[in-house]
Amino acid sequence: MIKELVLGLRFTITQMLRKPLTVQYPEEQKPVFPRHRGRHILHRYDNGLERCIGCELCAAACPVGCIYVLAAENDPKNPVSPGERYAERYEINLMRCIYCGYCAEACPTEAITLGPQYDLAEYRRERTVVTKAELLESWPRFAQARGPASPVGAGADSTARADPDPGISPRVAWDAAETVHGAPEAPQPGDLGVPTHVPTVTEPESRDRR
Amino acid sequence: MAQKPPTQPDDGHVAVSIDGHETRVPKGTLVLDAAAGLGIHIPIYCAHPKMEPVAVCRMCLVHIERFPKPQPACATVVADGMAVTTDSAEVTKIREGMLEFLLLNHPLDCPVCDRGGECDLQDFTFRYGPSVSRFPITEKVHFNKAVPLSEHIELDQERCILCWRCVRYYDEITGEKEIVLEQRGVQTLVTTFNEQPLRSSFQGNLPEVCPVGALTHRQYRFVSRPWDLQRTAGVCPECSYGCNLNVDSRDFEIRRFASRDNPLVEDMWLCDRGRYSFPKWNSTERVRRPAVRPRAGRARDTAVGEAIAAAANELRAVIDAHSPSAIGVMGSAESTNEELFLLQRLARDVIGTRNIDHQLGSFDGITSEEHALGIAEIEECDALVVLGVEPEEEAPVLTLRLFKAQHKRGRRVHRVARDADPAGVVKAMGATTLTGVIADETNREHAVLVATALARKGAVRRMTVTRGVNGRGAKDLGVLPNVLPGYRAAPPGGKNGREILEAAAAGAIHALLITGPNAALERAGELLDRALQRAESVIVVETRPGKVASAATVLIPGHAIFEKLGTVTNIEGRVQRVRPALPPAAQTPSDTRVLAALAAELGAKGWERSDPMSVNRALREAVPAYAEAGSGGRALWTAERVA
Repeated sequence: MIKELVLGLRFTITQMLRKPLTVQYPEEQKPVFPRHRGRHILHRYDNGLERCIGCELCAAACPVGCIYVLAAENDPKNPVSPGERYAERYEINLMRCIYCGYCAEACPTEAITLGPQYDLAEYRRERTVVTKAELLESWPRFAQARGPASPVGAGADSTARADPDPGISPRVAWDAAETVHGAPEAPQPGDLGVPTHVPTVTEPESRDRR
Repeated sequence: MAQKPPTQPDDGHVAVSIDGHETRVPKGTLVLDAAAGLGIHIPIYCAHPKMEPVAVCRMCLVHIERFPKPQPACATVVADGMAVTTDSAEVTKIREGMLEFLLLNHPLDCPVCDRGGECDLQDFTFRYGPSVSRFPITEKVHFNKAVPLSEHIELDQERCILCWRCVRYYDEITGEKEIVLEQRGVQTLVTTFNEQPLRSSFQGNLPEVCPVGALTHRQYRFVSRPWDLQRTAGVCPECSYGCNLNVDSRDFEIRRFASRDNPLVEDMWLCDRGRYSFPKWNSTERVRRPAVRPRAGRARDTAVGEAIAAAANELRAVIDAHSPSAIGVMGSAESTNEELFLLQRLARDVIGTRNIDHQLGSFDGITSEEHALGIAEIEECDALVVLGVEPEEEAPVLTLRLFKAQHKRGRRVHRVARDADPAGVVKAMGATTLTGVIADETNREHAVLVATALARKGAVRRMTVTRGVNGRGAKDLGVLPNVLPGYRAAPPGGKNGREILEAAAAGAIHALLITGPNAALERAGELLDRALQRAESVIVVETRPGKVASAATVLIPGHAIFEKLGTVTNIEGRVQRVRPALPPAAQTPSDTRVLAALAAELGAKGWERSDPMSVNRALREAVPAYAEAGSGGRALWTAERVA
C-alpha cells in the first residue's frame, strides 16, 4: 500500500516540477512551423519597392476567388514596384480564403507568401477583407498608405458606381454608423504594415530546399 | 495516308485531304480555311480573315505532298488531290523553331502585359511551342516600351513579332497608311510614318488586329485581365449604324468595348468614337430616386408606385380640364423598340393624343423607301452617291464599308456636296444598273431628288443615316406624329417635336411626357426651357440629371441602354438585341414596366405582361416586319406591306 502511495505521489510531484504546457493565449503565442500557411504577407525588395506587379495571377490561381487586384501604371519617377505595373488595390477576403497557398505558387515575383499569423477573428465581418495596406510588409520609407484603405472587391459589396445612398444596403448602413460613432477598428492612415503582435518573418528557408 | 481522292465531276469544288481527312472545298479556298472547316487548327499570326495573305510570319507552314518545301497554309490555294499534313514531326519541328525565333527577343513580360490571357503568342507557345529556349534570357535585344502612338494607342516595340497586320490594316481596311516598318533584320521596328501621331478615327481596331501585346489601348492599360471581364454581347450606342460589340465589364463598370464580328454590319471594325465612348456609361451622375415635385406644394422623393400614380393623376387632370391633345409625348431615339412601342401605344390608345415625336424636326412624307439599301448591299451597288459629309460623320464605320466597296469590289463611290445638283450627279455617273444613295436624315428631301433623277439610269436604293442608336426603330414604330407603326399613315393633326415644345411654351399643351435621354430635345435650347417652365406637369422618365430631369413635376429614374433588355434597330432595319451588362443604377422597375404601370393607372386593360420579352412578343404581333426580322435580321418594308 505504501508502495502504491509512493508511486502515485512520485508521478504527482514529477508533474508539479514540470514546466506548465498551457500557453497564455492570446498574450503568448507559440511559434508556428516555418511553412505554416497563415495570413498572407506582401513582400518588398531590399530597396523598399513592392514585389507585387499587379499581374493578378494569384487571383487567377485562387480556387475560391478571394483575391481582388486592381492594377495601375507606375509613375517612372516615383515607382511603387519595378517595371510598368503595380497593384493599386490588393484585397483578400480572409473569410473566403482556404489558405491553400496557390497564390504564392502562382506569383511570378514571389511577392505573396502565407505568413505565420493565424489569429484572424474579427468582431466585424467587413474587417476580414484585408487591404494592401494591411498585407504589405512595413518599410520605414513608406510611412504613407499607398492606395485607398477601404476594400472594394472580393466580397466587399461597394463599387464606385453604386448609389452612394441607396437607402437599404446594409453595407451603407454600416458605413453611416461608422461616420456617426467612429470606427474603432478601421485602419488609420498611419497604422500600416504588419500589425505589432505579428512577428516579422523572413522567407521560410524550406522554400528553397523544396 | 495520302492516297489520291477519287476524281469527281467539276462542280467548282476540289477534293483535298488534310491529315488523312477528306473534304471538298470550293476552288480558290486557302489550305488554312479548308483545315478550319475540318476542325484542324493551324496557328497563324500574319493571316487575318479580313485581309489579304502575305505569309510573312511562317507560323502556318504545313507539309504538302510533292512540294519540295513546307508551304504557308495562309497563302496556298487548294488544288485537286492535294494531300496536306499538319501533324507530322516535320511540321511540329517547324512550329517549335518558329516560336523559338519569335520569342528570341520577346521580353516575356506576360505578367504585366495587357494582352496576357488572350495573346496568340502565349496560346500558341503553350500549345505548339518548345518548353525551353536555347537562347539565354540575358542576351535579348531590347527596344522601346510603352511608346504612345496617339492618345488611344500605345506601342511596345519589344513585344512585336512583325506580322504586318497593323501595317496591312491601314493599307487594306482604312487606306490611311499611317504605320510603317522601319530598319531591317533584327532591328526592324513598327512605327508611325515620320514619327507622327496616329490621326485615324479607326485606331481602336489596331490592338484587336495585333496578335500579341505590342499595340494596346491606353484607356485599357492595366485596367483588367481578360478572365476578370464579364462579356455581354451588345450594340454600340453611339450611332444608329448598329455595330455589334462585346461589352466587357468588371466590378460593374464597363472597361472596354471589343468588336464582335458581324460581317453584315460593321465587319468587325469599330470607330474610335464608339469604341472609346464607354466611360460615359459608368458615370455616377444618374437620376437615382423617383420624385414628385408639384408646381404648387412640397417636392419629395417617393416610391416608384406613388410617382406613377401621381403621374397618372396629373395626366388625368389635364385630360379632364382640357383634352387629350393638350398632352405632348416625347420619346427618345435612345430607347429600345419595346419602350417606344409601349410609349406610342400609351400616347395614342390610352391617353388619346396625336402629339408624339422623338425629335424636333418634321418627317413629312416618310416612307420605307428611305431605308431600302442595306449595309452589306453597299458592296453590291455599281455606284454609290454619298451626299455631303454628314452620313460618314454620323456613322463613321460607313467609311470603311465604302472603302471596301471601292477598293476590294471595284465599285464607284461618288462623294458629292450635300445639295449637289441632281442633274449633275446623273451626268457624272456612268452606266449603272444599281445605284446606292446615302444621305443624312437632315438631308432627306434632297436625297429624294437625287434618287428620282438617278432612277432613269437604273435601280436606285436609298439609305438614310438616322440619328440616335434607335432612331430607325422610333420611325418604324410610329413615334412620329404622321405615321403609325409600320409607316401606316396616322390621322392628321399631330404635332412634331418642335411644335409640341412651342405649344407647351405658348400654353396650348399643358402636360409633357418625356422618356429617355433625348439629345435632340436638348438641342432645342431656350425653347425647351420655356416649354418646361410653362407646362403644368412634366412627367419624365430619365437616366441623367439635367434640364429635363430638374424641371420634372414627376421624375422616374430610367435605365440606361446597358442596363436593360430589349432590341434596337439600326439604319438598315436590322433588329438587334441589347442585353443588360451592368446592374441598373436606380432601383426602379424597367422602363417598359413603368410605362405599362402608368397605362394601367390611366385605366388601360391588357397591359399586365410588361417585361421586355412579353412586350417584344406583342410588338412582333403588331408589326409583322419585326416578326420576320426576329433577332439579328432586317425588318424589310416593302411597299405592299406598308399599304
